[in-house]
Amino acid sequence: MEQFIAKLAEILETRELKEDSRLASFPAWDSLGVLSTIAMIESLYRVNLMSPDLAGIKTVDELWKLVQSRRTD
Amino acid sequence: MNFRFQDKKITGILTVLPEHEQKFVDDMKNFNFPEARSLKLKQVMGYDKHRLVTAGTCASDLAIFGFRHLIEKELLAPDGLDAMIVVTQSPDYFMPPTSNVIQGELGLKQDAFCMDINQGCAGFVIGLIQAFLMLEQESVSRVALVNVDVLSRKVSTKDRNSYPLTGDAASITIIESDPGAGPIYANLKMDGTRREILIIPAGGLRMPSTPETAVLEDVGDGNLRAKDHLRMDGTAVFNFAQVEVPPMIESLMQFARADINQVDWFLFHQPNKFMLEKLCDKMKVPFAKMPSNVVENFGNASGVTIPTAISFNLAEQLRSGGVTACLAAFGSGLTWGSMLLRLGPLAFCSMIDYR
Repeated sequence: MEQFIAKLAEILETRELKEDSRLASFPAWDSLGVLSTIAMIESLYRVNLMSPDLAGIKTVDELWKLVQSRRTD
Repeated sequence: MNFRFQDKKITGILTVLPEHEQKFVDDMKNFNFPEARSLKLKQVMGYDKHRLVTAGTCASDLAIFGFRHLIEKELLAPDGLDAMIVVTQSPDYFMPPTSNVIQGELGLKQDAFCMDINQGCAGFVIGLIQAFLMLEQESVSRVALVNVDVLSRKVSTKDRNSYPLTGDAASITIIESDPGAGPIYANLKMDGTRREILIIPAGGLRMPSTPETAVLEDVGDGNLRAKDHLRMDGTAVFNFAQVEVPPMIESLMQFARADINQVDWFLFHQPNKFMLEKLCDKMKVPFAKMPSNVVENFGNASGVTIPTAISFNLAEQLRSGGVTACLAAFGSGLTWGSMLLRLGPLAFCSMIDYR
C-alpha cells in the first residue's frame, strides 16, 4: 500500500496523504487526476477501473480496497 | 472480423490543414479552471496548439482545396478516379452526400462510385478497408479516400474535456490496384452498445436542434456544453482504448503470422500523448516507434490523424522507400480496427495549408 499511496500523492500533488485522506479535498482530484489515477492503477495492478466505479469512493483507503477486490494476480 | 487483401497499395497521401492556429494557453481563458490545473493538463496530454477552420468552412471546402492542389501539381488525373470515399462526421448536409458535393465541384466523371461513411476516429482504417473492397472489382482501379472533419464547429469552447484536443483537417489518400503488391492484413470490431461515450446528442432527427438544445449547461467539473455539442466521456474512451487496442494488435499479428518486432512504425490514431504512451507501455512497444506529436501540433481531427502522423513524420522516408507499418484506429461507434501493411514508396506525401 505504501507504493500506492506514494504514487497517488504524486498525482494529487501533495506530501500529506494518509489512508483516511479524503480524495475530494485535493484540488488535483479533478477529471485529469481521476484519469491519471485510473492509468496508474491499470499499469501497477492490471485493474481497469471505470469512472462509475469511483463514484462512491471517498478516501484513499476505500480506493485501495476497491483495487484489492478487483485484482486477479 | 479479419480481412486479407492482395494486389493493392497506397500510392499517395496529402494532408490539408486550416491555416488558422490556436494556442492552448489562449483556450485556457475560456475554461472554468485554475490556471495551474489547465497547465498540468497541457503537460500530461501534450496539448499546445491546434488548427481550426474559421467560420463557415465546411468539410468539402478542405477536400476540394486538396484535390485542386493535386490536380494542379499533376499528381492526380481527375478522370482517373473510379471511386471516392468520404469519411466524415461533420458533413456539409444531411442530403446530398459530401462525396457527391466534391465530385460535382471538381467535375469528376459520372462513371464513379461516390460514398460517404459516417465514422469518426476509426475512419482511416475503415476507409482503407472499404477502398480495398472496391478495388476487388475490375471496373475500379483507383480510389480516393477522403478523411475530413470540422468538428471544432460542434465542440463547446468552454468544455475543457474536448476543446483543447479538437482539430480540423482533411486528408486525401490514393489507393490503387497493383498486381503483386501486398498482402495487407486488417481487423475490425464494433460495439454499438457503447455508442453514447462519444456522441453529439442533438441535431439529428432523434433530438432536433432547437433554441433549448443550444443552451450551455453546467455539466460538472466546471465545463459548459450544450446538447448541440460533441460530448465525450474521456475516462470511458481511455478505458476502451486500453482494454481493446492491445488484444486487437496481438490478434492482427497472429492473423498475419507476423512478429510485432518486425513493425517499423506504429501509426496510431492520435487522441492525446497520454493515451498513446499508456498503449505503448501495455503493448511493450518502444515509444520511439510510435509518433505522438499530432495533437500538440495540429489537434485531433478524428480520422485524419493517421494520415497527418504519416505526412508530418515520415514524408521523406516514404517518398523514397518503404516501411512496415501497423495502423490502429479507435473511436465513436464504438469502432476499432487495425492494419498491417507495407507503406511506400509514395508518389506524394505532403501537407498543405488551407487558405
